[in-house]
Amino acid sequence: MNEHIPPTKLGFGILWPAFWTGLPIKLALAVLFLAFGIVDFENRIALAFLMLLASPVTVFALPTIIMGLDSHIGEGAGIPLLFILAVPIDIWALKIVGRTFFLERLRREPPGWLGLTLWWKSALVGAIFIPILWVVEGAITQGGISVVHSMFASDPLKGIPVAERISTELTLWGTVSSVVLLLLLVVGFSLVGRLIRGTVESAGHAPENYQGLITRWDLMRVPRDQGLMLTVLSGVAVLLSVLFWSYLPVFTPHPHDCCKKPEVEAAPPFKPLETLNKDEKMLAHLAAQVEMLVEQRAKTERQKEQSKEKGKAGKERAEGEEVSESLEATEPPPAAAADP
Amino acid sequence: MSDSPSAGTEPTVAEKVFTFVDERVGLKLLAAKMLNESVPGGSRWAYVFGSLLLFIFIMQSITGVLLMFYYVPTADHAYASTQYILHDVDYGWFLLSYHFWGSSAMVVCVFAHMSQVFLWGAYKKPRELIWLVGLALFGLVMAFGFTGYLLPWDQRAYWATTVGVEIVDKMPLLGDFVARFLKGGPTPGQMTLSRFFVIHVMVLPAALIALAGLHLFLFRCAGPAGPFRGTPTELKAKTDYFFPRQIWKDVVGMAVVFACTSALAFWEPVVLLEEATPDPGDYHPEPEWYFLFIFQHLRLRMFSGEFGQFLGSMAFPGALGIMLVLLPFFDRNPERNIFRRPFALIGWVVLTVSILLFTVSAIINREFLD
Repeated sequence: MNEHIPPTKLGFGILWPAFWTGLPIKLALAVLFLAFGIVDFENRIALAFLMLLASPVTVFALPTIIMGLDSHIGEGAGIPLLFILAVPIDIWALKIVGRTFFLERLRREPPGWLGLTLWWKSALVGAIFIPILWVVEGAITQGGISVVHSMFASDPLKGIPVAERISTELTLWGTVSSVVLLLLLVVGFSLVGRLIRGTVESAGHAPENYQGLITRWDLMRVPRDQGLMLTVLSGVAVLLSVLFWSYLPVFTPHPHDCCKKPEVEAAPPFKPLETLNKDEKMLAHLAAQVEMLVEQRAKTERQKEQSKEKGKAGKERAEGEEVSESLEATEPPPAAAADP
Repeated sequence: MSDSPSAGTEPTVAEKVFTFVDERVGLKLLAAKMLNESVPGGSRWAYVFGSLLLFIFIMQSITGVLLMFYYVPTADHAYASTQYILHDVDYGWFLLSYHFWGSSAMVVCVFAHMSQVFLWGAYKKPRELIWLVGLALFGLVMAFGFTGYLLPWDQRAYWATTVGVEIVDKMPLLGDFVARFLKGGPTPGQMTLSRFFVIHVMVLPAALIALAGLHLFLFRCAGPAGPFRGTPTELKAKTDYFFPRQIWKDVVGMAVVFACTSALAFWEPVVLLEEATPDPGDYHPEPEWYFLFIFQHLRLRMFSGEFGQFLGSMAFPGALGIMLVLLPFFDRNPERNIFRRPFALIGWVVLTVSILLFTVSAIINREFLD
């Protein structure tokens, strides 16, 4: 059956379900990254969703679009991380879908490393074709809008009311844009189909009848250890929920003008033990200073006495008095006041 | 849990509880009936939308009840209490934003579910009653959106309701009465808010639970329609029970809906405009996005004037509604394959493209007015 399946049908038959198979896991990661605050899709969430959905073909095309064509789907370190994490998910999804497609639709034995083979071929086509699609579709849409605008700016059509004008303009350029997009998508699916046709042709025919094939395909979808799978899934769900609620901002990230909270610097928390230790250290330090000053004073006194004894000049005596005055100014408080 | 404790071993507490309940309500039979429903042609992703709607309704109920702990339905406190939820209640902004986007998710899923039933030809004999109850449920979902939109009591809410009530006012015979009943006075005020609140949190949920139960009962009576394509051998080979594969698909679908709604809540959290006043100021009144297509086509010249407005707001949507109600009765051809029903396919495409076109036009028109 289906010996000569058209390439467009082949490409679409594998890629379309693979897009949706990997999506739930990728979406869970995207929501988690949004909660972490490492992704901001700005006003391009629909485009970001499409890019993530079609990540088997957009994974290498996105960097080209961002860097080469100066366009983007949002900001934040989470976006490249999301697309890197999407790679193993897409390989897994393509493996699941590919095996189903080979058995059920093509009635052929799925070859080994099917997921990886389908992934690199899809990603390769996407890396070249998606930027071309981006440029062509963008140019056609912009051109269509300009032409339609200029048509309606001409004298005979100037009097058309705004609502009618908007709807007619949208219909005209939207039709052209949609038709071109559809044609380009058909070409894209066809290219993927052509590239993976070799894998299909090299696969051997499945020996069973239809009922046998369906039974095999059906059993293929049942996990070997259902209890383990259920436990793992529940564990992952719990982990994701805990992470989500831990990182979810408690208050709105976009406060209204009426309700902006004043930015008050929180006082450092009072820690009694630390404060006591700090005070003790300070007291010890001050006591050491007092001791040093007392020693210094005694030394000065001794020097004074020695100088008296030696009968030195009055000038030297006056200097000694100045020193004693300065010491009095820095004299420490009485010991009782410093005592806690 | 096993059906019966193995011989020679003492039953666990869970088994004892299960047996206790089973003896009284027939739990085993109920579970068997619920889970062992045969799905012709096997489980499919196209069948998940009904379960998704139930999931969204449950989530809306949970978030709605949590919001009601803080919301005050009076004209002088509604706005302040909503701001309090957004700015002071722990995670209040996320709950309100999830509730807001959940209503949009419900509208999208209702449209997807109705489209699937229409394209699959699943409204045909013997499933006419399921289709009719489904249409009533669709009306309830739209009413939920309309009544809930007023509750934050900001300019957007106030003027969207004003526009909506004006559209209702154009309905022949009952329009004036319904509009006056909803407003409870010459302009939207405390009476309007009270009525919308009661309808939103009491009348509509009760009606929805009753009708959804009836919808499920009728569905179980008639059984699933199955795919419209495939040979009898293929269908027989793939036929499966509802549990576990369809339930697994439903659970994955629910996770996707939760993730999408949460992502939208992060991306565009609810931010209120200024408090409602009878003066729109610079604000250009418009309804919620799922009513925008009606609002935009009312701007067309052909629908100007009293009669034109009646045609655009009541006659055409009303005619479409009557057509949908009568659909299973005049389309008696048993053929279900959509590719062999060209009128149905073209009709669905035209309607969907028109809704899309006028919705996008309304958004462009808004930018033009701004």
